[in-house]
Amino acid sequence: MSNTTLSHHHDPESDGAKAVCIDASVRTPVLLLFGNALHWLVVASFLALLASVKLVAPGFLGGVAFLGYGRLSAIARDLFLYGWASQAAIAAGIWLMARLCNRTLGGVLLRTLINSAVVLWNLAVLLGTLAILAGYSTGVEWLEYPNWASAMLFLSFLMIGIWVVCLFDRRAGIESGGRAEPALWYLVAGFCCFPWVYGTANLLLTWKPLQASAQGAVQGWFCNGFLILWLLPVALGALYGLLPRISGQQLNRRNLAPLGFWLLILFGGWAGLARLIGGPIPAWMASAGVVAGVLFLIPILIVMINLLGLRRGGDNDGNITWQFLRGGLSFILTAGLLAALLAMPSVSAFARFTGVTVSLDLLWLFGAISFPLFGVIYASLPGLLGRECWSVSLSGLHYWLNFAGLCLLTTILILDGLFAGLALLDPVVSFLNITSYAQPFHVLEGAAWLLLLASTVIAAANFTRALAAERLFPKK
Amino acid sequence: MHRLSTFLIGILLVFLTSWVGVVAYSSNKLGHLDPIADADTGGSLPPNLQGDAIAGQRVYASEGCIACHSQQVRQTSVTGTDIARGWGVRPSVARDYLRDSTAFLGSCRLGQDLSNVGIRLPDAKWHYRHLFHPGSVCEGSIMPAFSHLFEVRKIQGQRSDEALDLTGADAPKEGCEVVPTTDAKNLVAYLLSLRHDYPLPEAPVKKGAEATK
Repeated sequence: MSNTTLSHHHDPESDGAKAVCIDASVRTPVLLLFGNALHWLVVASFLALLASVKLVAPGFLGGVAFLGYGRLSAIARDLFLYGWASQAAIAAGIWLMARLCNRTLGGVLLRTLINSAVVLWNLAVLLGTLAILAGYSTGVEWLEYPNWASAMLFLSFLMIGIWVVCLFDRRAGIESGGRAEPALWYLVAGFCCFPWVYGTANLLLTWKPLQASAQGAVQGWFCNGFLILWLLPVALGALYGLLPRISGQQLNRRNLAPLGFWLLILFGGWAGLARLIGGPIPAWMASAGVVAGVLFLIPILIVMINLLGLRRGGDNDGNITWQFLRGGLSFILTAGLLAALLAMPSVSAFARFTGVTVSLDLLWLFGAISFPLFGVIYASLPGLLGRECWSVSLSGLHYWLNFAGLCLLTTILILDGLFAGLALLDPVVSFLNITSYAQPFHVLEGAAWLLLLASTVIAAANFTRALAAERLFPKK
Repeated sequence: MHRLSTFLIGILLVFLTSWVGVVAYSSNKLGHLDPIADADTGGSLPPNLQGDAIAGQRVYASEGCIACHSQQVRQTSVTGTDIARGWGVRPSVARDYLRDSTAFLGSCRLGQDLSNVGIRLPDAKWHYRHLFHPGSVCEGSIMPAFSHLFEVRKIQGQRSDEALDLTGADAPKEGCEVVPTTDAKNLVAYLLSLRHDYPLPEAPVKKGAEATK
């Protein structure tokens, strides 16, 4: 994508120069964050593959304490959440906010602060991972890192996030009363929600735990909030920011966008309770979860109305950013529909605790969220490196392997989940019997993880190759 | 949505609804539940945990048991499956988790629900053999072996009472024995403590339910 694509003004020459300045100012932290995120993604995919092999062959790597299924799967998921998705979302947020607001990241002090925050973040992920390996997990799902590691993540985020949020008021055109565009709302909302959601959940579940009778609802609220109020808004910021610019078209029914935004924040917070339908929470909470979970379809549909109709022009053929963004959009729709289904008590009754619920989180994380983030990586890299120096065929391969792997994995998990869920309804069928019939599904899941691992290795190699090319043949 | 300040106030207000409704309500109401007096034994419900069971929760957390095992029997208004499968005699309620440091509710059931495993499988020796090699007592189980929670040692004098009765390929070499480590003992003590079968005002146990479990 050209340097001028993202700017507001109409003088292409000065816009191009401004974009170059902006990219130069955010280059170090954004490349560091994206690079680290991609490499954590490879590690996490590898560990997830190992874990899935252990489901097929329980004796594989048996007897090694730190390679038990429980630890491996916790580490892999946390690396996906904190090593990959959150880190890539922070990078995407920095680059998008700077570009969309048309402002540089100024001051040596601020740059040093942000760069050290990046180091702190990665140190926290590394140490947290080692702590789980060594058996110091908190045992709270999605928050397994020991409290000192989560405190480091929290602090590191604040060091970056405050600056990103403040850019909203420094954006170009604000003096003349220019209104902020939807992409900025979503980015600011995501960056505001992270400290709130992550801080609250850690405070009440790991730093100074509540009486356990109250933890269930907070756990459900956190898991949903982390995906829907932090990561998804950043992904939507990327979609709202980039899709109209690449296609050169306006949003469809722009007047609906504010409604979609506010409903997403409202229902996204409450819908977490749908994860606990039938569980040990008051009945009104479960009902609120059902209502919010189903109504969450409204903001999803508004996003589709706004963005699905945008078509690219002829010069975008094979544009990898466009492919990833459109892929992300279709996964948002799929995940939104599945989430609404799972929020219905009659469906939850047999599908909860099975592969169906697992596949929903995977659809959010690896489809709805990761695809737009990949789109931002491919959109930002040429500007940050000064030229398009990745391999086009490798990036295409990355897209298709990722797409195929994710579709295969989620389809298999849904089939597995439906099969197991319906079989569990009949108490005559023994649990071990169901487990043994699920084995072929586990084998296919392993194959899907292999595809996903291959796609992430390609993405990371492509990124590293582009960086190396930049270093070997620096731009004049 | 022109200025950051007004925009942030909007986000704050919308976000606050779920924060107040879910988080603040939980911590204020559910976070301050009291145990109920048990008229039969003079103790309290849910029963207090012993020291080894409390320590066992740490092992449960560090081994990541929650990846495959839930600890909640769902409301009968949603599904009767959990109770029909013998995973409990009544639905789990918030007060059941009062004695735990972490509520291991779980989100996945690759393995069976454990909220009443202490009633269903009350034999510690069975749990040791199961943890050491799940396939030896549950054929076809996909649970990984937790043999690292056990110690193989030379028999000094007399064979230990704690030694596992292992047969076939699991049996230790002549003159050796397999004994559980402290972690294994604590974990099994915790598993045996898991039971939501006592009646609570908000979760009565139907008469005769225990006979059918």
